[in-house]
Amino acid sequence: MSRFRRPYIPILLFLAAGQFLRADGGKVQLQRQAGPFLITVFSDPSVVRVGRVDLSVLCQKSDDKSTILDAKIFLHLTKPGGAEIVEFTLPATHQAATNKTLYVAHLDLPTAGKWKVKVDASRGGDEASVTGDLNVLPKEPLLLTYWPFFLVVPLIALLFAINRRLRRGRELRHPRAQR
Amino acid sequence: MDAVAAAALQSWPWHPWTTAALFLAAAVYLSGWIRIRRLVRTGHDGTRLPCFLAGLAVVWLATSSPLDAFDKLFLSAHMTQHLLLLSIAPPLLLLGRPLLPILRGLPKRFVKEALGPFLTSPVCHGISDWFTSMPTAWLLFAISTVVWHFPAAYELALGSNAWHDVQHACFFWTGVLFWVPLIQQTPGKSRWPAWAPIPYLLFADLVNTILSATFVFAGRVLYPTYEAVHLGSVSAQTDQTLAGAIMWVPGSIVYLVPAAVFAMRVFSPERQEGREPVVRLPKPDRSRTPVLAIKRLVPVRRVAKWAMLAVAIAVIVDGVRGAQIAPLNLAGVLPWIHWRALSVAALLLVGNLFCMACPFTLVRDMGRRVVTPKFRWPRFLRSKWLPVALLLLYFWTYEAFSLWNSPFVTACIILGYFAASLAVDTLFRGASFCKYVCPIGQFHFITSLVSPREVAVRKQSVCGSCRTHDCIRGNETARGCELYLFQPKKASNLDCTFCLDCVKACPHDNLGLLPVLPAKTLTEDPYRSSIGRLSKRNDFAALALLIVFAAFVNAAAMTAPVMMNEHKWHARLGPHAMPLVVGIFVLLGAVIAPVLLVAICAGFNRLIVARDRLWEFSRRFIYALVPVGVAMWAAHLLYHFATAWTTSLSFVTPLQIVCLDAGLLLTLYVILRVAEQYRAGMRQAIAIAVPWAALSIALYGAGIWILFQPMEMRGMLH
Repeated sequence: MSRFRRPYIPILLFLAAGQFLRADGGKVQLQRQAGPFLITVFSDPSVVRVGRVDLSVLCQKSDDKSTILDAKIFLHLTKPGGAEIVEFTLPATHQAATNKTLYVAHLDLPTAGKWKVKVDASRGGDEASVTGDLNVLPKEPLLLTYWPFFLVVPLIALLFAINRRLRRGRELRHPRAQR
Repeated sequence: MDAVAAAALQSWPWHPWTTAALFLAAAVYLSGWIRIRRLVRTGHDGTRLPCFLAGLAVVWLATSSPLDAFDKLFLSAHMTQHLLLLSIAPPLLLLGRPLLPILRGLPKRFVKEALGPFLTSPVCHGISDWFTSMPTAWLLFAISTVVWHFPAAYELALGSNAWHDVQHACFFWTGVLFWVPLIQQTPGKSRWPAWAPIPYLLFADLVNTILSATFVFAGRVLYPTYEAVHLGSVSAQTDQTLAGAIMWVPGSIVYLVPAAVFAMRVFSPERQEGREPVVRLPKPDRSRTPVLAIKRLVPVRRVAKWAMLAVAIAVIVDGVRGAQIAPLNLAGVLPWIHWRALSVAALLLVGNLFCMACPFTLVRDMGRRVVTPKFRWPRFLRSKWLPVALLLLYFWTYEAFSLWNSPFVTACIILGYFAASLAVDTLFRGASFCKYVCPIGQFHFITSLVSPREVAVRKQSVCGSCRTHDCIRGNETARGCELYLFQPKKASNLDCTFCLDCVKACPHDNLGLLPVLPAKTLTEDPYRSSIGRLSKRNDFAALALLIVFAAFVNAAAMTAPVMMNEHKWHARLGPHAMPLVVGIFVLLGAVIAPVLLVAICAGFNRLIVARDRLWEFSRRFIYALVPVGVAMWAAHLLYHFATAWTTSLSFVTPLQIVCLDAGLLLTLYVILRVAEQYRAGMRQAIAIAVPWAALSIALYGAGIWILFQPMEMRGMLH
């Protein structure tokens, strides 16, 4: 038993460390050709909501569709209208990406609505920008976000109840087996 | 190598839950495999372990390698992933014959109590036989394979991470079911004729071939998602053809080779499947195996105490002389953030390690070299009422005077603690300060009721023949238990400071830091040395109740809604009214509400339970709430600990909820076990348990509400 327990500690540490990277790629939100570049923007999760989102950019040559890995990519996000204008500018990098052919930026979107996304790409002397819209939905209720964790208690309680019932059945069938 | 290819090969996604689950499965299998190998050796052992580990490695490769990073860009990558999950990993895992090693690798008690009824139930056998019968397994496999390749279903999986996981789970588990009748059948006991696997595999290959051919010859891109992105010269159509080829050629080999093997067996003149001779090895003598070389911990404990004393001195010095900005001062960070969280983590993983390394007792021991205590602790104070009052005072002062935010006051409190322990223990004999005064100690005593280890007797028979009772009286090498705990009669960690004096003193080496089921002693009400029966002790019940409810009060006090209300009343009542407002909040949350709620639950029980046993049972149910209270402390302190290290908190909330889940489950279990001890029937037991279960669920709900509130980052920079 003591031998078995040992893996628990590394496993807990393992789980705790799981926050640092997320999957990227995801749903195509925007694809435009600008100058020598073909820019594709993906979002993960595919339905973008208020809160944390990963935007990934695939930069390709527009002529032969080959992937460009040494471009400089900047994302500008603007939410026009309303009482105040919210604006972000941040670099998208390979370091932040799981898929190293993409450029990724992690950001926290504060409000729902239609955001303007502008991607600036530059490589050597070539520069280009593409723009598009990103529809951001309101934040999901936290109970919905974490619903699998709330299922644990009723599920284990149900299994426990079945366990007890089966055990009683076994005791009735084999009275001598009772402890 | 091409730069893009190099970048692709560096794309390793990080899925901690999957990796942890696979790691756990490997650890359990390995543990069981080693145990079985010690007892029995068969000719298969050499291949089973590598097969199982290879199967796990294939699952990991499919879900956590560049294949996963590119599965939404290339259908061919996605198809390879599916092939691994559906047709490679399941047979490898099953060739490892995992059932027995996994059952042997899991804790015996868990297998017997939790899994046993399922494993021996005829109903479960029936369900399992149905699912693993050839027609059912084949149909499920075919339906899953075909349905998930419909464009609508496939696009659904590509557009949602959750559906994508469901798709992979379907492929993997139907793959497992498909291969079970072929691999797991007992020789000579198969329900199907020996030739049955041949059409079984050939028809599976037919399904696979039809699907593959559809991809290859469709003439259009079937899944629009892949059409959006073309990389280099690889068009979506080419990619789809490649995916079809992967599915067709390696996919068919997976079915045709085993079909050929089965055919050879059927048509071979020697069809006897002889069983491997089983070699049974003698059982290892476990009675001599030490549970833990606990005596080695005695010098470690001394080192830990000195280390803690050094830390305490550093905290005091920095608290008095350092910058009075809590996050930049040791007195603002170490005691309130790190020490609290680490001591609760130690309680949950091992036991009362803080008391074991307590620096206050070190100073006390030095003092006792100069002054020998002469008095006994006053009889009227030999209870937990004084620590209950001190703990309540502490919870109030902590909130009212923002102790976490004042390094100087923190330093003064630690100094005061040293002075108090020195004064009490140089005047009074035994560990009077630990047992009757120290609020920190009482907190650890109560929370260590859910610890997985306990200083306990290994064999009661050895203690039965012992005449010297050195564990409590002491001898020339070690003092006996200063908290008057007689080991043969000790149950649970209550009042145990893990000082190990008893271990050192025991001449029979019969004491150890033994594994126990968390909260097990709460399901019973034995006579406990130096305490008596918990069901008779109001002071212990009050202490437990305070610690449970204070967990919620303490966490709630840092949420925005509670703080806003406090400030609102502060503004109404005047500039110096904050301590009063906080005092009322603490009193309401940690004293009045629990007393009222307990009274209501007892009131419901009065309808069933005889009046003379009503309070006895109510006290036992109060102790049953300890796990959910400890879970709340753990969840709260985990938050502080995590925010001290990182601003990325996406992993914290799930872990906090898991803590609360575990606490609630343990509490519900204890409640049911206590109620069963009174039952005249199961219905009555449930009726008794319902109000207390409702209270624990309400506490869980309160805990979840607290976790979801915006938090005021008190005493921190971010």
